[in-house]
Amino acid sequence: MAEDERKRTGFFQAVKEFVYGVAAHDSARFALKTRASMEHLFILITMGDMLGVPILPPYYSLRLLPYVVPQISTWKRRMLREKDLTDALA
Amino acid sequence: MNAIIVLILGFVVAFIGYRVYARYIDVNVIKADPKKATPAKMYMDGVEFMPTSRNILYGYQFKSIAGAGPIIGPIIAIQWGWLPALLWILLGAFFIGWVHDYASAMIAMRHEGASFGGLSHRLISPRARVILLSFIYFYLLLIAGAFGNVVVSTAIGLKASPMAWLLLTIAGVLAGQMIYRWKQDIILTTVVTVAISLFGIALGSWVPSNAVLGDALANSRWLWAICAFVFCYFAAVLPIWRFALPINYVAAYIVFFGLFFGIIGIILKAPNFTLPAITTFSIPIGPLWPIMFVTIACGAISGWHSIVSSSGTARQLESEVDARPVGAGVMFLEMMLAVFALIIAGTIFTSAADYAAAIKLGPAGVFAKGVGQFLNVLGLPLDVATSYGSVMMIFLAITIMQLVIRFMRVATSELLSDVSPVFRNAHVGTVIASILGLVLVMTGWWQYLWVLFGGANQLMASLALLLISAWMVSEGRPVAWAFYPMLFMFVTTIAALLYTSYNLLVVKVLSGAVKGEALIGNTFMGVVALFLVVAALILAWEGYKAFRRFRAARGEAAPSKA
Repeated sequence: MAEDERKRTGFFQAVKEFVYGVAAHDSARFALKTRASMEHLFILITMGDMLGVPILPPYYSLRLLPYVVPQISTWKRRMLREKDLTDALA
Repeated sequence: MNAIIVLILGFVVAFIGYRVYARYIDVNVIKADPKKATPAKMYMDGVEFMPTSRNILYGYQFKSIAGAGPIIGPIIAIQWGWLPALLWILLGAFFIGWVHDYASAMIAMRHEGASFGGLSHRLISPRARVILLSFIYFYLLLIAGAFGNVVVSTAIGLKASPMAWLLLTIAGVLAGQMIYRWKQDIILTTVVTVAISLFGIALGSWVPSNAVLGDALANSRWLWAICAFVFCYFAAVLPIWRFALPINYVAAYIVFFGLFFGIIGIILKAPNFTLPAITTFSIPIGPLWPIMFVTIACGAISGWHSIVSSSGTARQLESEVDARPVGAGVMFLEMMLAVFALIIAGTIFTSAADYAAAIKLGPAGVFAKGVGQFLNVLGLPLDVATSYGSVMMIFLAITIMQLVIRFMRVATSELLSDVSPVFRNAHVGTVIASILGLVLVMTGWWQYLWVLFGGANQLMASLALLLISAWMVSEGRPVAWAFYPMLFMFVTTIAALLYTSYNLLVVKVLSGAVKGEALIGNTFMGVVALFLVVAALILAWEGYKAFRRFRAARGEAAPSKA
């Protein structure tokens, strides 16, 4: 009985996820991409030194550093990764 | 033959292809490893690289690859007879289509989620990357032209569709506002906006465009072409959440309902094919080989899928073993969509003459009539059901077209911003893309335009298969399963593009057979076809050199037998 219930729940969960994938996953990804682009631009302005772009005096960068720490590795990877037109397509 | 038999045949091919052939390649050749960390896990950034459930990716991949392509191709190709079209759909998907989609995801996954530009640079040569990106620009242009033509011919041929298009636009903009600005519940937003869109379909059948605009305007190609490109202009320059995405979101439900209930209608009605199984080898757009093989692109094999699989899906797969259900599984689902379109075109006409009269006005009318008949089986009034079919077609085409123009704007900036900073401007890039698309729509013959789009699409697929083959050779793995499909696609597509280009430039333009607008359209399309051929030949040469390089490197690395 419990097995049947689990199978039924699993099936409905799969259908739910499929519908989400068809209808909304793309929108969610684009929204995340937009937010990430803004955040990464901000980090570039404040922490550009890390990539060799001296933009802000180090004093202010250090004041902001604790807030930015969790995102630094992601930001560096995203800034330095090779990108091309096909990245925008999907 | 009965449509149910064809549907069963499709399921059998999909089952064997997925469970036997795809599984064999996945386990024995690619050796997908569930323990290997995928790029989504290694480089998780919560944005592009994000482990995602395979059910979600199944839906995402399906939505990204299944547009108007798998529907229009078979409807046109049935002019050679339904049997060759059916065989190409089934065999193409079985031997080439899934190989291409699945392996595109795997190659990107095994190369840290690199996109095709980066992969061609790494595996073939730096020049290959530049040519590939220029090629993609013209490929996008042909999509805009071909789908623009579908929008225009649908708006003229089916007078209910413009009203539904207008209300979809309103509903989409409202959806964006409700979700992102007013922070409304997603279910409430969906119900309200889908209801507005459905009301638009009913309103369109009660108040057709000629009743509002008059016959002259309602039948004007210029009017609908300009409307389509103005629509795309907003999609390209406004923030994506404001226009393009919410419209696609609402349209997805309309299309999904139509396909779902349409297939149920086919099963309940179980119609017989009324058109001939085989007609002649050569029809006005060209001979069966190579032209039919590019007319049906999506549904059998399509280069667009490789871009989605590599730049989109590969970065979200949480396990390597998910690549088979998502890459190969969705390809077989799209194959079934193409079979559905073929059944529509092959069963709803009483004679070949009826079909010939309908296809002259464009494929949208055929599709709308078919969907209308099958939804009518479920009790929807025939006029509303036919309107629903026409609206599905216009939604399928316009939602892809708006994204393509947006991408062309990005591509213009990417390719030409070094020439002049003015090309970085979003409006300039959009206007250039729209004008080029408008020229194609207004001056090109739609059947040739579709063949060229299919040719570019298949060529993109050949290039993806070339990359996959180069990868296999570089790793010393069996290559025949990707190499022979690549060879077949390459030869067929080059032949199709050369044939079409010859017809356009020599038979039509140089002989003086066409004048005025058609002269511009034929010349433009002929030159684009030639450009694609030259770009593909250069890439093939670069690929050949890469093959030799990899073979030589492996020969040196192998231990001596002496």
